[in-house]
Amino acid sequence: MDSAKTSPAPVKKKGRWLKKLRENYPFLVMIFPAVLVVFLFNYLPIYGLLIAFQDFMPGDPILGEYTRWVGFDNFTRFFNDVQFWPLMSNTFLLCIFGFIIGFPLPIIVALLLNATKSRRTAKILQTIFNGPHFISLVVMVGMLTLFFGRYGLVNNIIAAIGGERVSYFLQSSAFRPMYILSSNWQDFGWSAIIYVAALSNVDPGQHEAAILDGATRWQRVLHVDLPAIMPMVSVMLIMSIGGLMGVGYEKALLMQTDGNLGVSELIATYVYKQGLTGVPDQAYATAIGLFNSIINVVLLIIANTTSKRFSENSLW
Amino acid sequence: MAEVQLKNIKKVYPFVSGEKKVKKKKADEPEKKKVNLQITNEGVVAVQAFNLDIKDKEFIVLVGPSGCGKSTTLRMVAGLEEISGGELYIDGKLMNDVAPKDRDIAMVFQNYALYPHMSVYDNMAFSLKLSKVPKDEIDKKVREAAEILDITQYLERKPKALSGGQRQRVAIGRAIVRAPKVMLMDEPLSNLDAKLRNEMRAEIIKLRKRIDTTFIYVTHDQTEAMTLGDRIVIMRDGYIQQIGTPQEVFNHPANLFVAGFIGMPVMNFFDANLVREGKQYFVEVDGFKVELSPEKEERLLANDVQSQPVTLGVRPEHTDVTEQGIASKVEVAEMMGSSVHLHLDANGKDVIVIVPTIDMKESYKQGDTVHFSFKGKVAHVFSKETDKNLEF
Ligand SMILES: Nc1ncnc2c1ncn2[C@@H]1O[C@H](COP(=O)(O)OP(=O)(O)O)[C@@H](O)[C@H]1O
Ligand SMILES: [Mg+2]
Repeated sequence: MDSAKTSPAPVKKKGRWLKKLRENYPFLVMIFPAVLVVFLFNYLPIYGLLIAFQDFMPGDPILGEYTRWVGFDNFTRFFNDVQFWPLMSNTFLLCIFGFIIGFPLPIIVALLLNATKSRRTAKILQTIFNGPHFISLVVMVGMLTLFFGRYGLVNNIIAAIGGERVSYFLQSSAFRPMYILSSNWQDFGWSAIIYVAALSNVDPGQHEAAILDGATRWQRVLHVDLPAIMPMVSVMLIMSIGGLMGVGYEKALLMQTDGNLGVSELIATYVYKQGLTGVPDQAYATAIGLFNSIINVVLLIIANTTSKRFSENSLW
Repeated sequence: MAEVQLKNIKKVYPFVSGEKKVKKKKADEPEKKKVNLQITNEGVVAVQAFNLDIKDKEFIVLVGPSGCGKSTTLRMVAGLEEISGGELYIDGKLMNDVAPKDRDIAMVFQNYALYPHMSVYDNMAFSLKLSKVPKDEIDKKVREAAEILDITQYLERKPKALSGGQRQRVAIGRAIVRAPKVMLMDEPLSNLDAKLRNEMRAEIIKLRKRIDTTFIYVTHDQTEAMTLGDRIVIMRDGYIQQIGTPQEVFNHPANLFVAGFIGMPVMNFFDANLVREGKQYFVEVDGFKVELSPEKEERLLANDVQSQPVTLGVRPEHTDVTEQGIASKVEVAEMMGSSVHLHLDANGKDVIVIVPTIDMKESYKQGDTVHFSFKGKVAHVFSKETDKNLEF
């Protein structure tokens, strides 16, 4: 009886779905390449994660006759690794300090650029600020050596005024400041673009109304500009928290020396070394990488839920 | 509550680099633009020779086609735009270099310009908060204003959750909480639909009675100007064309532009001849002769106006369908209820005649031949050379 009643509904639904498909097919065709790329490079490789649960040797098929499943062995091995806590704290500290400086900086820069009276000056400054973004990582680290290396600019000055040369690249304490400040120097202008764009959408009438209301320049930034970019700030905040532990291995590896290994060995560099150098242990490396991704997903969910709870802004 | 004096006010917008060249190129092309602002070496002159004395509690309306410099003038009074020349006095004090917030003015914008993240209450309270008025006093003033504007029930809402009309009420509320000396409004009703616009217009008339302050109101809509203003300032291309009460500018337009701008439907214009015979004047149009009224003759005489070709203007309201008169063919007859608007073709000229339905003997069909005429009392004669009303 029930099925007799409900059976027409799915047919109807299906018809509607087909109709929608026919109406929107140009759009579907347009997004197809993007979907294909995402599928090939982001979804298909997920299959490879299976080796995190195997006793895997390079060259083995992922799902073969002789696959040896080991459950969570690779994960427990990582948790018991002597490197576990140092890796976690190194990654976390590098990211959190980078975030504390790197997150507000573009916002402040965008607000200042927007408050600059001369549009021309603002444009020129913005172009200059964007420049460093296009420097490649290798060149960037090369520049760091030119400035802070044993025979770099800073040491030459120290030597000239009679001081002792210091090998900054061999000092653990210098690693994080060099890493974070250079990263932020490269990207503050680039990251500000999105806020500058949001600010240019603010109705000039609002500023004029505020001027007539007696607001000073600073009060206008606070009561007109900042609220206008707040939704953008929330979204960016959620996304950066989601990527908080997701630092890449390249730059740290380039800056790594035996002297700073204690702070410069990150989850990402460790994965790289385990999976691709020496005697590669790809199963172990995959397990560590997967663990790292899970942390990121959990952080993202927490950030999004919190934001949804306390403001109107969220990613989903 | 203040007198406002504008003395020879001028605004020049300097060229942005590169703009001058573009303008020059365009000068070769045939001029088709509606706006013909004067362009000097310094830039575009948006407003010039603006002289106006506004009395305490007067409601002044600046009206004119878009681009004629109304907003610019208003923004100079507000202090949002620098005054390039001349003097602005509010209550006898020179205001040219006084900061906007110290001019004791408030302004309502066309697009409301409310703070989107603040509630209606906070929007209205913002200026008072900034000037550190005690909390309970702010509360009293905001609620009072909300009461006047009938928005008390929306005080906790964000502007996003309000309709256009409600938003404009909030914008007006934000302006009146401060009890400004001068209230400035820049096309406050333009973003509303026709019905709401009529409602809000009535609302502003009521508001004006309650808050009793000096108003300067900008609009491009002559109906709004006529219904709201104590006096109307009609502008064109940066110049004042005429200042007067609605009645004055309607009955005695200073020139052809004012005559065409004020009044709906638009005034009918004819090529005619003004003929002077001693102390008497009459106009000849299409072989049809109309004697001007004694008052008109007196004014023309005072100016020693001689016989000359003129542009004759007669309002559709003042044109009658008669047995004799200028012959024409009916093109369209628009039934408006209490009257019919006849669109006539008189020898290739479009003429509109309003016929009250009560007096109508017959219904009009396309192609009917109709004669029309008018009285000397309502005929306006404009110089062919200067477009000025010869009575002025
Ligand atoms: N910031 C500006 N720079 C240059 N020209 C301007 C500027 N603002 C307005 N104008 C020009 O001044 C003239 C008058 O503008 P406005 O006062 O806004 O006219 P409206 O009577 O429609 O309110 C217009 O022709 C406009 O193009
Ligand atoms: Mg305007």
